[in-house]
Amino acid sequence: MVYPAHHRQIVEELMSGKFLLNNEEHFNSLKENESFYTEFFKISFDLELIMKPEFSYLLSKDTQENFSRDVSIFIAILSYELDRDGRNFIESFDFNEFTFEEIDNYFLNSSFIDLIESNKTLRDNESRRTLLNGMARRNIIYKTFEDRFTFTQAYKVFVDFAKELALKRIKGEPETQNAE
Amino acid sequence: MIKAEPRTILNFLNTYFDVVRDLFEYQQQDGIITKEVFDMICHKHGAQMKSRLREYRVVRSIGSDFEMRDVYFKLMEFLLFEFKPLLPETIEKYKGAIAELFMKIRKSEHSDRDILQERIKNLSGQVREFVDLVERNAFRLLAETRDLKSNIDRVQYREKVHKASFWIEYYILPLNRILDVNHSESVTSKLVEVCEYANRKRLDYSDETTRSEYEKLYTQLIQTNQDLLKQSKILTNELLPLLERIRTESLILTGFIEFLRNPYKVETPPLLKGTRTMVYAKDMYFKVREFFEQFQIEAPVIVENSEADFDRWIFDRTLFKEKLSASMPVNDFFGWCFKALKKDFDQIETDKFFAVTGLLFDEELQIDYSKKSERVSIETTTSILDVPKLKIEPAIKL
Repeated sequence: MVYPAHHRQIVEELMSGKFLLNNEEHFNSLKENESFYTEFFKISFDLELIMKPEFSYLLSKDTQENFSRDVSIFIAILSYELDRDGRNFIESFDFNEFTFEEIDNYFLNSSFIDLIESNKTLRDNESRRTLLNGMARRNIIYKTFEDRFTFTQAYKVFVDFAKELALKRIKGEPETQNAE
Repeated sequence: MIKAEPRTILNFLNTYFDVVRDLFEYQQQDGIITKEVFDMICHKHGAQMKSRLREYRVVRSIGSDFEMRDVYFKLMEFLLFEFKPLLPETIEKYKGAIAELFMKIRKSEHSDRDILQERIKNLSGQVREFVDLVERNAFRLLAETRDLKSNIDRVQYREKVHKASFWIEYYILPLNRILDVNHSESVTSKLVEVCEYANRKRLDYSDETTRSEYEKLYTQLIQTNQDLLKQSKILTNELLPLLERIRTESLILTGFIEFLRNPYKVETPPLLKGTRTMVYAKDMYFKVREFFEQFQIEAPVIVENSEADFDRWIFDRTLFKEKLSASMPVNDFFGWCFKALKKDFDQIETDKFFAVTGLLFDEELQIDYSKKSERVSIETTTSILDVPKLKIEPAIKL
């Protein structure tokens, strides 16, 4: 049997929880063989392959995952602070480069300080570095230098989540809650 | 019929502009000027004010209340640049009026010349009013949208989404349909049709004065179509994307704020759970090595030898205490300290001397002060110390 090009890289990266981005060579191979990979991941590992125009990733049935929550809180606070600073946060996510120092300043002066201090992955500069390194490993951000990064299009997963939540709340629908 | 001269009325408006503006603001806000408000505004200017306002036809009675006449209301709107955005339904009525007049013009092409010219003039008047309304509406909508964007009033995100959606749904999209030249039912497409007709008739109509009327209408319509195109561009290129962005952005922020209210009670986007590597896995060796290697990167440590001469002498309290006990009673404590040190060192530094004098605080010693207030001088490497002569004896234990 002949496997698609970059097969091993595609499987390894997706299985390690990485987002595959459309500017990467193996993304094209994944896109061209979408139906094969959808079936492959479903049958082999019972995982769902999500294909978006800009990125793709895998989902498991078990969604109890703290990393997603920490990133959601991080992006939510950053969006709020950028907006408060008069910046268009979507444009900033799309085009701007952020420095760790800038992020620290936003978080230190945030009105969500209680939430930040109670979260062990956000509470201080060092914890935020660890979270950002985790986000870089998963391709949610791209580190341009040791202390600088840009967001990849994968941030849209979290923005879409916020949009859906807002629509649910505006319509007055109860959303499903975690069993914590 | 107004008896007063036009200049008199303009002078009145100039002198009492504040009064007319107050009336305008009340009318704009409530749609009517109640009797109480009218009395309050006119009160300080005497009884003549009310009669003047009626005489110059600025207001008219509606039961016991009043309303500002349309011509003055529009003048004030124009002067203060305070236009209320009109619902596009209000603007769309011009389509009916323009279409009706155009149809009659075409039908009466060969009938009475005077009525034909009158209809052309009326059509021109309708077009003028239409363009004016569209411009005012676009201007007002742009101002409202920018206000919403700058959000000076600190409108909540949810309210912003609502407002942006409201402007898009009820004002901008319908207005855009009116202005869309590609839409066969739009007012603009009707104007293009009139313009083409006027273009033909200004050249081939038999009567010269009517040809001249068509010429005027044609010139007006060419300019009108350019103006409408400009307004349409503002709507589609600036207003619509801006409002869409406000709506989307605010919606996302509303979502984030709702989420941050209680982030541990909402399901976040599901991602793939990281897999744990088992000790028997093939890549375990590499992963463990990678883990430990991160601690092996050690920054080089540079130790520099201090150039300064560093004396490592440490005061041995027990030794000196034994020496002191052996010498007791001591008549001059400080002198003894100096001599004790002198046995070991040629030069006595002040800090060494002070270290030894610390023995004085021992509880097992009894200190007697000289009654004659005798003092002794101790010379260290850096200082000459003038100290009292103290007699030391073992303390009497009770």
